[in-house]
Amino acid sequence: VPTLHTLPGSAPEITEGYIQMFYLSKIEHTLRLPPHLLNLPVNQAIKGELEGLFLDKVIADLGLCISIYDIHSIDGGFITPGDGASTYTVMFRMIMFRPFVGEVIAAKLKESDREGLKLSLGFFDDIHVPEHLLPMPKQFEPESGNSNQGRWIWEFNGDNYPIDAVDEIRFRVHHVTYPSLPVEQEKASKPFAPMIVTGSLDADGLGPISWWV
Amino acid sequence: VKANDGVLTNFEVLNFLRSRGAGKDLTRVIAPIAPSEFKVYDYLEQTAACSQTRESIISFVGKSKQYKLAEAEILNLINIRPSSVVEIDPIVEECDKRMGEGVEELVEMVLQVLPTPPSQMQSDDQVEFNKDDVQDGQEVEAS
Repeated sequence: VPTLHTLPGSAPEITEGYIQMFYLSKIEHTLRLPPHLLNLPVNQAIKGELEGLFLDKVIADLGLCISIYDIHSIDGGFITPGDGASTYTVMFRMIMFRPFVGEVIAAKLKESDREGLKLSLGFFDDIHVPEHLLPMPKQFEPESGNSNQGRWIWEFNGDNYPIDAVDEIRFRVHHVTYPSLPVEQEKASKPFAPMIVTGSLDADGLGPISWWV
Repeated sequence: VKANDGVLTNFEVLNFLRSRGAGKDLTRVIAPIAPSEFKVYDYLEQTAACSQTRESIISFVGKSKQYKLAEAEILNLINIRPSSVVEIDPIVEECDKRMGEGVEELVEMVLQVLPTPPSQMQSDDQVEFNKDDVQDGQEVEAS
């Protein structure tokens, strides 16, 4: 299920770390704690709010938010007159998922059709391997007749190497994009993906692990 | 292990989730871990990270220095834990040119320093078996 692309409220201020599959990003965010949470310890209430706001959501260019790692500081607690909620400015770190170009990652096959493959990590599903990034020479074997679904087969040294859902598939990250939220979406269109990882299988050592091991 | 600010190996993320109570058994129901975090945990438990240790990773990073690899390549090697030259090839850019035959040494080092993931258990055990035979002075066919 795709996640929210833009976050409500003020845009968080972010200083990033080095690019890696998983990395820590330091974030400053101002939030309101609704009055019904006032009986909880402040730390716990704030962590809960941050998790609700960020977990499993994509921040463009920064990646997918995985976990709140720690909270550095909490400032504020002032209650605006006429408003029962209190406002806090929180400095915290989050574990982010953002693969780097050239990174080799193990994934499972989710879908296979004429356009290529869709791979999944379980917690992240939007990995595309377009047919031109599959190893060549290759052939597409449709499920039946003119079906769009089917499997891809790599031909090497007279042997056929099919790409099945049996084992782990290693791909290399080709590029990562963050499409903008469309203004309108038709009912039947594909679900919106806020972060798309495009992968390649076109090198020795990539593809189903059984090909090489 | 953080040679660079904020970089995390798969192991560190898995360790973080485990320390907060993530597990595979029924304690899942009460652990303070979000469903999306459990999906990350389940993924990492199926990778080499599941049997790694802080010590083995620190040791690996130290021993990698002689191969003049980029930080990203070292981290990728830790996360994938390749057990053969062909598996290292897509991870190290221009592997042949930069490493030549050094890549075989690198494979040996990976096998020795980083723990065997459960999925690779069988093939590594076979290597162990052959080595023992050689030590006993018996003739062993090259595998």
